[in-house]
Amino acid sequence: MIDATYDILAYAYPPLIVFAAALLVLVLPRLLGFAVGALSLASVVAISLLAPEGAHLTRTFLGFQDIHPFLIDDFTRMMGIALGFLGTFAVIYAYSSEASRKLAAIALAYVASALGAAFAGDWLVLVFMWEIMALTSTLLVWQYGGDAVRAGYRYALAHGIGGSLVLFAVIAQYAAVGSFTMVTEAGETVGFADGIPLLLAVLGIGVNVAFVGFHTWLPDTYPRPHFAASVFLAAFTTKTSAYVLYRAIPEGNLLLAYMGGAMAVYGVVFALLQHDMRALLSYHIQAQLGYMVAGIGIGSAIGVAGAMGHLFNNVLYKSLLFMAVGVVIYRTGENDLYKLGGLWREMPLTAIAFAIGALSITAVPGFSGFISKGMVLDAADPAYYGAGEYQALYWLLFIGAIGTFLSFIKLGYYVFLHGPSDYTVKDSRTGQTVAMFSVGGACVLLGLPAIGWPVFADLLPLVDGITVTELDTSLTPYSAGHLEDALILIVISVIGFKLIRKPLSKMDYSDPALIVNPTGYYLGRGTMLATTDLYAAVDNAVVSGVKRCYWAGNNPVLAVDETARRLPMVDVPERQHADGGRPSTIHLRAGIGTTVLLLTIILTVIIWLLV
Amino acid sequence: MSNVDLILPLLVAVPILMATVPIALGLRFDRTGWGVTTLTTTALLAATAYLASAVYSDGMVTHELGGWPREFGIQLVADEFSTLIALLVIATATAVLAYMRVGGPRGNTFYAGYLLLTGGLLGLSLTGDVFNMFVFLEIVGLATYALIASGDGPESAVSALKYLILGTVGASLYLIGVGFIFMATGTLNMQVLSEIMPEVLAQGGQNLVLLQAAFAFIFVGFALKVAQWPLHTWQPDAYQHAPDGVTPVIAALVSTAYAYALGRLMYTVFGPEFLTSTPYLTEIVVTVGCLSVLAGSTLAVIQTDVKRMFAYSSVAQFGLVVAAFGLVTETALIGAIIHLIGHAVMKAGLFAAAGVIAVTYGARTVDEYAGLADNRPFVAGGTALLLIALIGIPPSAGFIGKWYIAVGSVQAEMWPVAAVILLSTMLTLAYSARLLEKMYFTPATPVESPHPSGPVATDGGHEGGNGDDAHGSEHGDDAHGSEHGDESAGNVGASAFTDAGRIGRGNPDAVSFGMLALVIVAAIIAVLLGFAGGELYDLLDPFATEVFNE
Repeated sequence: MIDATYDILAYAYPPLIVFAAALLVLVLPRLLGFAVGALSLASVVAISLLAPEGAHLTRTFLGFQDIHPFLIDDFTRMMGIALGFLGTFAVIYAYSSEASRKLAAIALAYVASALGAAFAGDWLVLVFMWEIMALTSTLLVWQYGGDAVRAGYRYALAHGIGGSLVLFAVIAQYAAVGSFTMVTEAGETVGFADGIPLLLAVLGIGVNVAFVGFHTWLPDTYPRPHFAASVFLAAFTTKTSAYVLYRAIPEGNLLLAYMGGAMAVYGVVFALLQHDMRALLSYHIQAQLGYMVAGIGIGSAIGVAGAMGHLFNNVLYKSLLFMAVGVVIYRTGENDLYKLGGLWREMPLTAIAFAIGALSITAVPGFSGFISKGMVLDAADPAYYGAGEYQALYWLLFIGAIGTFLSFIKLGYYVFLHGPSDYTVKDSRTGQTVAMFSVGGACVLLGLPAIGWPVFADLLPLVDGITVTELDTSLTPYSAGHLEDALILIVISVIGFKLIRKPLSKMDYSDPALIVNPTGYYLGRGTMLATTDLYAAVDNAVVSGVKRCYWAGNNPVLAVDETARRLPMVDVPERQHADGGRPSTIHLRAGIGTTVLLLTIILTVIIWLLV
Repeated sequence: MSNVDLILPLLVAVPILMATVPIALGLRFDRTGWGVTTLTTTALLAATAYLASAVYSDGMVTHELGGWPREFGIQLVADEFSTLIALLVIATATAVLAYMRVGGPRGNTFYAGYLLLTGGLLGLSLTGDVFNMFVFLEIVGLATYALIASGDGPESAVSALKYLILGTVGASLYLIGVGFIFMATGTLNMQVLSEIMPEVLAQGGQNLVLLQAAFAFIFVGFALKVAQWPLHTWQPDAYQHAPDGVTPVIAALVSTAYAYALGRLMYTVFGPEFLTSTPYLTEIVVTVGCLSVLAGSTLAVIQTDVKRMFAYSSVAQFGLVVAAFGLVTETALIGAIIHLIGHAVMKAGLFAAAGVIAVTYGARTVDEYAGLADNRPFVAGGTALLLIALIGIPPSAGFIGKWYIAVGSVQAEMWPVAAVILLSTMLTLAYSARLLEKMYFTPATPVESPHPSGPVATDGGHEGGNGDDAHGSEHGDDAHGSEHGDESAGNVGASAFTDAGRIGRGNPDAVSFGMLALVIVAAIIAVLLGFAGGELYDLLDPFATEVFNE
């Protein structure tokens, strides 16, 4: 009987449930609608936990057989739990943050598409969901209007390009391998075939996981929409994409690992230079993704498990941080951290929630981030499971960890500690508090020594209990060696903070933008705008080129005149208006005669070529 | 087997004969055109559906007119390919009538032209020999010129004239090509030709050269008719200046039928073997298609008039189809056919939407679409869905077409085509996003309202200086209403500019349920087709297999 119930769950396709909730939100009264949304996501957690292993809902689609939209294995189970759990509380948070029903509906549709990508059992379904995710997330940005619209355009273009690359990667994979299989019957991940498919896939997914150079959309877009929308955006696209990156390249790759290291360092350096709170957090998304990409790139069991664990944690604490910062923005209306301060007296609950998130992301022992970041570092550290070629990567990741500390000290210090508050504001609303402390509670629970963390470790793929099955070793996050490493990290960071606290506090008295920003501004804007500017330049060139050709096509006589005028030694008389200067009543672009001329030329060329 | 083949001549003859009825009845009655046309197309739709069920269950249906053998006589053929196009033609022709009932144009002569067009299109899709194809090309062409010219104002007439001259040149080139084919083979029947073709190919020599020249003439003729860049120049003018009710039909059907004819000639008459063995041939076809995709999309991005933007978008989409024809793989051929169908549905919907919006909101340029979603949620929603489908975001008609063409291009290892599809998606995204953003995220600016506040100048003739705006226009509408009974929409042009009441502009009352329903239904079909990719593929697979394994 119980088995039968579980089997029924194999038909409960989570994205469909969430999408139905998205539609209901639009028609139901606000409270009821949000409740349905939260419940639908809670049910996703339940389904992920209970649904039987294997591929479900197998069908034929677009003439291709064996399409699995709903795959349950250790990886997707974990993704479902993470996304569903966070989504539930993000909806509650959005409810008490006065988000509109339209925002909630778009957000739920977005979550549904991300879940669809997470549960996809083959590349065809994945590419479907991937494109829909790009669309729905753009809508979520656009929905806010104003500044967000232009950023949304750039976002749409970046994800359109990335999505098309993935689409072609999948087609090339099909051409090379002859199937869309992502996971074999035995549960092995297939990965993309070497050569063009792999290259296209890594580039396409690289846009979504914010490889250095492809990341410009991230800090550009996430700070702009409604703060409740930022919570959704921060959790779903990048994390789902990191998971897909593993599916695409399960064996790992040295270059990919080092890209991860570069992302970690690049992300924290630029995070440290931000003064928009959400922009700072956005750069941290890139830095944290760096750890995941590094783990996936290393490719060993502990690396992948660590990457997935870090993914899971990141969904929780990065959203928690966005929630806490969102409450600050909600109450004060201020995005700039230098204009805030001393808020812990005004909003202690928010300050505590922020502290939990900050301690998790900085990987302090006792919080969940410590476990997963430790696994990735261990996977790289030659002293543990790494190899010689990962030595440099280990240091990159270590520097990233220090930078994370520094920037969160900066964020926490300037928002919650520094000086008295200029604002007299209330603390978070009940729903916001519930959401923040539920997510924060999970961060604490899953990191607790002895009791908490084995539960978390068991959740991870490739880990059974606390044993990494493939390597046959147990995880020992609270061993003396690991605690020592953590201590070193904390000591370095605290000393580092001591050293830069003076300049940092001085910067606050002078205009911070004058001192911190020159490098940050030019480097950050430089890389960020390099791509957009390049695009704009190409765009301008093409458009003006087309317009010129177009004009020449419309006005062949004028064009010839114009060209002749610019040539030396050619005397061109002033043109007289043949029609007395009267504007023509119809704008005939290329006229009949021109077209017939073109027709003749083309026909001649083709006959010449063919015959 | 019953006499199902008798349906074939009826499908062609009935609409052409019925075209005389509205004119004849017009001598006594005023408004018979719409009724007669609806009756005819609905009956033909039923007949075509019956024919389709026979074709898809039992295979090809042919009919020799007058019992003459196919070598000499006229043959009509319904196979998997042509039946699908015939079904599309008659279904769209029937559906658009829902728009024309209130949205216009009107008049018995107009409907005579409309029936003539329907007959010509059906004939074009069902004909079994290359000379009759020319005849039907001309019938379709003439009917189209007439329908475009039925719009108000000189622009319609000029663009119809431009289309007439260029279209006739294109058709003449085709006829020259047919002449060469006849010289080389001595027959005009497509099936006989497809049997002779391998022999000529094997012999080589003078006859082969004739065929190559024939292909050149036919391809260039059709490149003009299908509006491939840079021979597309007639098309944006024609689409933009045609009456709003006519554009959906010609955009959805006329170029589609020409593209069908090109595909039919390339694959049934010349055959894949000829296409691949002639040097440079596939390269030329693919190049023309790809250039059209790029140039068409780019030109679409820089347009300000919405109908014109959609017109350039058609140049690009047909470029994709032509490029797919040039790939010469089974998947790409089926992809091209599916994209033809999908594009027809989407463009019919989009142009109908543009017509509805022009009436209900007074908006014709991209900027004027601002705030549409808040004020006219249904038509905005339909347009948005259609645009998203056009970009090719799954599940949609646009996606499956591009998908199969992309798969075909990868199979043929034509990476440039794959890159062009990618680029075209981006460019489609660019112009669709422009419109989507205007509709949904830019608030309407009252300044753009085409009438000044204060006394309404355009209404002066009716009411004189009679108090406030809303009162005046209300009064004006009443006057119209009493004059024309339920046909108050007859004053679309006049009242669109007088109803300056609460909503600000446009005339929402002039839009009938049918006009709106056409947009919504097209949007829904465009999405549903996204799920039917596999089924369509299976329907067309026998045709493609036969072409490639002959």
